[in-house]
Amino acid sequence: MARIGVKKHLIAGFKRGLGLHTPGKSLLIQPDDIFLVSFPKSGNTWTRFLLANLRFPDEPATWANIDRLIPDPTGTTKREFDRMPRPRIIKSHECFDPRYPRVINIVRDPRDVVVSQYHYHRKIKKIADDSPIETFVKRFLAGETCPHGSWGQNVVTWLATSEGSPCYLMLRYEDMIADTPRELRKVVSFLGFNTTEKQIAQAVERSSAERMRKMEKEQPDKHGLMKGSRKDLNFVRAAGSGGWRKDLPMPMVEKIEAAWGPIMRHLGYELVTQVPSEARDYEALGIFTGTPH
Amino acid sequence: MLGQIKYAVKYVLGLDRAGNSYTVYPDDTFLVSYPKSGNTWVRFLLANLIYPNESVGFSNINSLLPAPGVLSKRFLKSLPRPRIMKSHEPFDVRFRKVIYLVRDPRDVAVSEYHFDQKKRYIEPDVTLEQFVKRFIAGETSSYGSWWEHAASWIAARHGNPAFLLVRYEDLLADAVGETAKIAEFLGIAASRERLQAAVERSSADRMRKLEKQQADEWTGTKNTRQEIPFVRAAKSGGWKESLPAHCVEEIEIAWAPLMNFLGYQLQTQELDSKTIPAWVRTGQPL
Repeated sequence: MARIGVKKHLIAGFKRGLGLHTPGKSLLIQPDDIFLVSFPKSGNTWTRFLLANLRFPDEPATWANIDRLIPDPTGTTKREFDRMPRPRIIKSHECFDPRYPRVINIVRDPRDVVVSQYHYHRKIKKIADDSPIETFVKRFLAGETCPHGSWGQNVVTWLATSEGSPCYLMLRYEDMIADTPRELRKVVSFLGFNTTEKQIAQAVERSSAERMRKMEKEQPDKHGLMKGSRKDLNFVRAAGSGGWRKDLPMPMVEKIEAAWGPIMRHLGYELVTQVPSEARDYEALGIFTGTPH
Repeated sequence: MLGQIKYAVKYVLGLDRAGNSYTVYPDDTFLVSYPKSGNTWVRFLLANLIYPNESVGFSNINSLLPAPGVLSKRFLKSLPRPRIMKSHEPFDVRFRKVIYLVRDPRDVAVSEYHFDQKKRYIEPDVTLEQFVKRFIAGETSSYGSWWEHAASWIAARHGNPAFLLVRYEDLLADAVGETAKIAEFLGIAASRERLQAAVERSSADRMRKLEKQQADEWTGTKNTRQEIPFVRAAKSGGWKESLPAHCVEEIEIAWAPLMNFLGYQLQTQELDSKTIPAWVRTGQPL
């Protein structure tokens, strides 16, 4: 056992010598880097495809090349990072990080996020097929379903620190679903790209849910997000908003709104239950007061 | 290439600097603050409290209350658990139990200016006015701006039983009382005598003396301008004398809501009422 550990460790060291390891948190950030940040299951992969297709119109994004086009510090090697054309657009699920020079932050209604993550965890066999959603919601609220904090923590660290900053663009997944070209125009002007309307339309087309589903069928093992996962469940699922209304039991909706109602309201997500009066008052904490900082 | 091989060898031996990629255990406690907010003082307080038989100084503070980023992974692994470590990181989801030390940003600005002079991080002819502009923009520190730092922690954790908010100013006013709160948070049953001893052994005078003797034995002071002390005024409100009025105003305009929440009284009169939360105007207590 110990021997295997040593061997693994030596291989890891060897990989580091060659730059073949994934840099993770020790990624060397360049001043012109752009980060695509979101809590998991908030449309990050779709936006990754959209941005890849915008940035590299000559190389349509696929599951096989996406880690190279829009790299992921935990999925792309250091060597590939070093060889990328600048400015790089980098994917991340991290909470607020002051080192990120420019940030596009995708935010999605947590009631939909929890349903999406529940199905994804069934797909990658992290939870049993018949595992009740109630148990999952409890863990989701406690931030135990992924290493990036709870939805509330992840989102609030970005909003509280960065709202109003010219280096920060927040997009709601729901708005992207409703009018993708309009939201992409915001991205283009934020990044200062010279992108034509035609190129935007092409990026939307190349990143459509249908096309992504088709590629998922053709390349089911080409990406770490799906490798070894159940093929009877899809990675690209509903690709819509508001599914929680039929998929999420009302007591669960109530729990989520009780925990994060003030943040949801700040983001314009309509609440359907009464938020308890002891819910955290962010304005009293000096946050969400509308001052640019 | 040679650098990469060196790194690979160090990695295999566990001797590479932990940086950001060390393993955090669920029972770790972190003493977190923005730089120049009293972190070193509280490190001394805690080290003296926890190790009453050690002679705590700059030469051993990094092994008693470690700064994980500059130490090796092997050393961090060898520490007895539960570990207490210091950090300047903005919100880090891996830190479960946190003592968050916060200080009036007007004093932080002045303190950081002197520290950056001492460390030669800035040119000697950079003025305080020039510095404050960059300070507000978060350009003087790799940990973000004071606002980003405090807002990220407070927004994510305030009210959580595993999060203790401590104001530097309160520590100065009542070091024994505040240290008692920290001790309770850490589950250390400390008598008043033990608390008092820790406070005395960590006094500014004593730390100044230790700094003179051990300046070359600590990363914070090694190879820095020795005519500028690390332990400087060790007080609060110094900004009133040393910070030009327009700098004060700039800081307050930028960060009024959070300063209000933390009880740092604003000097600027005509701040837009919208920037001040309603509860401050109605006088509701903190």
